[in-house]
Amino acid sequence: MPVVRNKKQGATGVNSVFDEVYGLLGEPGNDLVMRAIRDGMAPVGYTCSYVPEALLSAGQLFPVRMRAPGAAGTEAADIYLSSVTCSYVRSLLEYAMDGRYDFLRGWAFAASCDHLRRLYDNLGRLVRPGFIHILDVPHKRGAAAVAWFAEELRIFAAALGGHFGTDTGPGAVAESIRDLNAFNARLRAIGELRKLDVPRLTGGEFHALMLAAGASPKKLFAGILDDLERALRGRAPAKKFRARVVIAGGQLDDPAYINAIEDQGALVVADRLCTGSVPALAPVPEGGDPFAALAAHYLSRTSCPRMMEDHDARVRDIIALAREYRADGVIVQTVKFCDCWGVEITPLARALRDAGLPVLRLEREYHMGAEGQLRTRVQAFIESMGK
Amino acid sequence: MHSRVRGVANRMTLTGYQAKNLASILLMGAKHGPFDMLRDIRRYPWLMDLLGVNGLLARLVENREGTYRTAVALVIEEVTRGMVDLLEGMFHRGDRLVIHEDMVPPEILHAMGLQPWMPELLGILLPMLNPRAMERYLDAAENQGVPPDICSLPRATMGVAYRGEFPPARAIVTSNLPCDGGMASYTVMQKITGLPAFRLDVPYDVSSERAHAYFAGELRAMIAWLEEHTPGRMDWDRLRDICGRRNRMAELELEIWDMIRAKPAPMAGEAISLSHLWGFNVMPGRPSAVRMFERLADLTRKSLARGKGANPREKHRVLLWNPPTLHYIDLFVWAERAYGASCIIDSMSFNRQPFIDTSSPETMLRGLAHNIMNGPMARHTRGPAANYFTDMFHLYSHFSMDMIWIAGHIGCKNTQALNGLLREDCRARGIPLLIIEYDLCDPRIVPRDGIRDQVDHFMENVMKEKRRA
Repeated sequence: MPVVRNKKQGATGVNSVFDEVYGLLGEPGNDLVMRAIRDGMAPVGYTCSYVPEALLSAGQLFPVRMRAPGAAGTEAADIYLSSVTCSYVRSLLEYAMDGRYDFLRGWAFAASCDHLRRLYDNLGRLVRPGFIHILDVPHKRGAAAVAWFAEELRIFAAALGGHFGTDTGPGAVAESIRDLNAFNARLRAIGELRKLDVPRLTGGEFHALMLAAGASPKKLFAGILDDLERALRGRAPAKKFRARVVIAGGQLDDPAYINAIEDQGALVVADRLCTGSVPALAPVPEGGDPFAALAAHYLSRTSCPRMMEDHDARVRDIIALAREYRADGVIVQTVKFCDCWGVEITPLARALRDAGLPVLRLEREYHMGAEGQLRTRVQAFIESMGK
Repeated sequence: MHSRVRGVANRMTLTGYQAKNLASILLMGAKHGPFDMLRDIRRYPWLMDLLGVNGLLARLVENREGTYRTAVALVIEEVTRGMVDLLEGMFHRGDRLVIHEDMVPPEILHAMGLQPWMPELLGILLPMLNPRAMERYLDAAENQGVPPDICSLPRATMGVAYRGEFPPARAIVTSNLPCDGGMASYTVMQKITGLPAFRLDVPYDVSSERAHAYFAGELRAMIAWLEEHTPGRMDWDRLRDICGRRNRMAELELEIWDMIRAKPAPMAGEAISLSHLWGFNVMPGRPSAVRMFERLADLTRKSLARGKGANPREKHRVLLWNPPTLHYIDLFVWAERAYGASCIIDSMSFNRQPFIDTSSPETMLRGLAHNIMNGPMARHTRGPAANYFTDMFHLYSHFSMDMIWIAGHIGCKNTQALNGLLREDCRARGIPLLIIEYDLCDPRIVPRDGIRDQVDHFMENVMKEKRRA
């Protein structure tokens, strides 16, 4: 559902671009995806930020970050995954069993958490995609882990190349890395506009942009970025907010959630989520062995608690992010039943508070619900910060 | 007359083993000194629950006779002695105490002259002794913000740490096993204890040589880290001895497993499951654990020769999958009596473990790596679903089972998420399947009556048995 914002400021150009962006979020296979398929491109779905997009961007392939927009019930998926599995994962299986992802030519998983591993097992048996692969991602960094993961990526690239008949060799992957770095730099520049005292775009808008970019073929989405960059230059600042917040945590792919937070007066200036821009948009080093570069780059991402040695780094990174974007507080949102975040959040919140950052912990289901409760808690959080 | 003699013998077995257990505990108290013992009971209130061991013994030998009764009793005796040894280490060797997660077996720590302390052991052992023992720890963790849906074993263990009831230690060694909740719990425990920690990274698919080499490298790194952070030094000869004795245990266990394929099974229940759980996970290569398996093998041979079976009323052979119902550990004492349903073997006992090649440090590390990676919680619970189903159906046919019971621990999301596929597979194979809904450590979720009711309904409606009186 498009959310038109800043009308009073006459930013109709920006708003029409955002209408287009929101329009890409209504279905798993959006118009750009379908156009790319008609042009002979092959979408490969992925479910975790530890799957390198560069590998899924070689040749005629393009990555689609999997979402289940509008998911409400998960009755069929619950039969297989049970009701104590994360509702993101259940929603994906529900949609897959409903044939909503039949446009995909393949699936790429990371053995990143218990829930996604079991989604891989169930989806493989119940849907039987033409191509399905799971990456064995180490839980720590270090030379041995990087070497292991680089080999995993080579195996994955060979599997993709073999199945799709496309070049996934080092040269092609290096080219994909260059293209993605350039694309991500443009997104990053837009996201950094939120560092301004009164930014020209909201956190909800930027989140929608990130999601639409992840759910679309980058080559076709670039035109939207062109339009947006032009329109944002002339856009008046967004309304004055009462507080600036960083949002952190796990899977979140619904701008309505951030809009609900911002409607209470808390501007989301930075996002450190599975689906967020930090650290996802950081450039992959170019030159040398692209598989080794990707392995080192992805394992240096400490944003998910699955990286078992990096709790302190996560705390430091969130604090640094809050300082960089001059945030007043941190909202940590987690999807219910996520064990990694569920355990992590207690020491994390304590450490952030010890560093002087107010913290709001929110546990939620994947689909948007309990909006009234969310608004009340955000209001109270803003007031508790004296804003 | 004959039954009276048998009754006297049964009572003597129980009394004899109870006396031995009591003597072990009293001796430990005497060595520690009454003042220190009282101080430590206040400091570690869970010590009081351990005194319930003879009550557990009485429950587990009820209605069991002869070699079966003796076998179960000697397993409890070994558990008691082993626990006493662990406690004495905790009391007297604190400068060498290393906290290790339950999926990191202690062979290497012993070989390095370190004193292992597995904190999850409390969550495993205490509910067997006192079904409600972990409630205070579960509630403590939840009060600190740990979600109630996290597996109750790591949750209870975090609760012990939050209540300050961990012994002082030098270091922590842990891993990414057995599940995300277990892995993440060590972040909390490290924060509370302030100890340095080493984390072993176990690959997802444990079947490749590449995975074994990677994990053996992890073990080497752990040894180097322990030498840096503790007084422990690796003694490869000592490790060779431990692995050699562990191999002997495995040899005896394999012989027992061959014998229990017979119908009726000459040994069953906790004589199979608890002996493995304790022997291979807590005391691998300990001389007394070898002796326990020697005696178990001997008792099984005798029982097989008599041809009557451990449970003379054996009518149904059950494959139990997942960790046993800890707070109702005597489930099969009841099921044997009520339905003639014996637990022949369980998933936690059955490991695809090879003998460890002790010819060099490298081969020993490879063998240990293989064992850790193929432990049931690694191979089944967290690993690819194919491992889970393949092993389950292999055991079902190999041991001529009649049915599968899944101990459906509500906190085990890994296995909960396979129940749908499992139901379909069992239906396709014509295998009767019971998924018991319960919580591993928390009897408030489903008490023992609730577990029994589920078994009753299954036995009556699916297995067409008469409802027990």
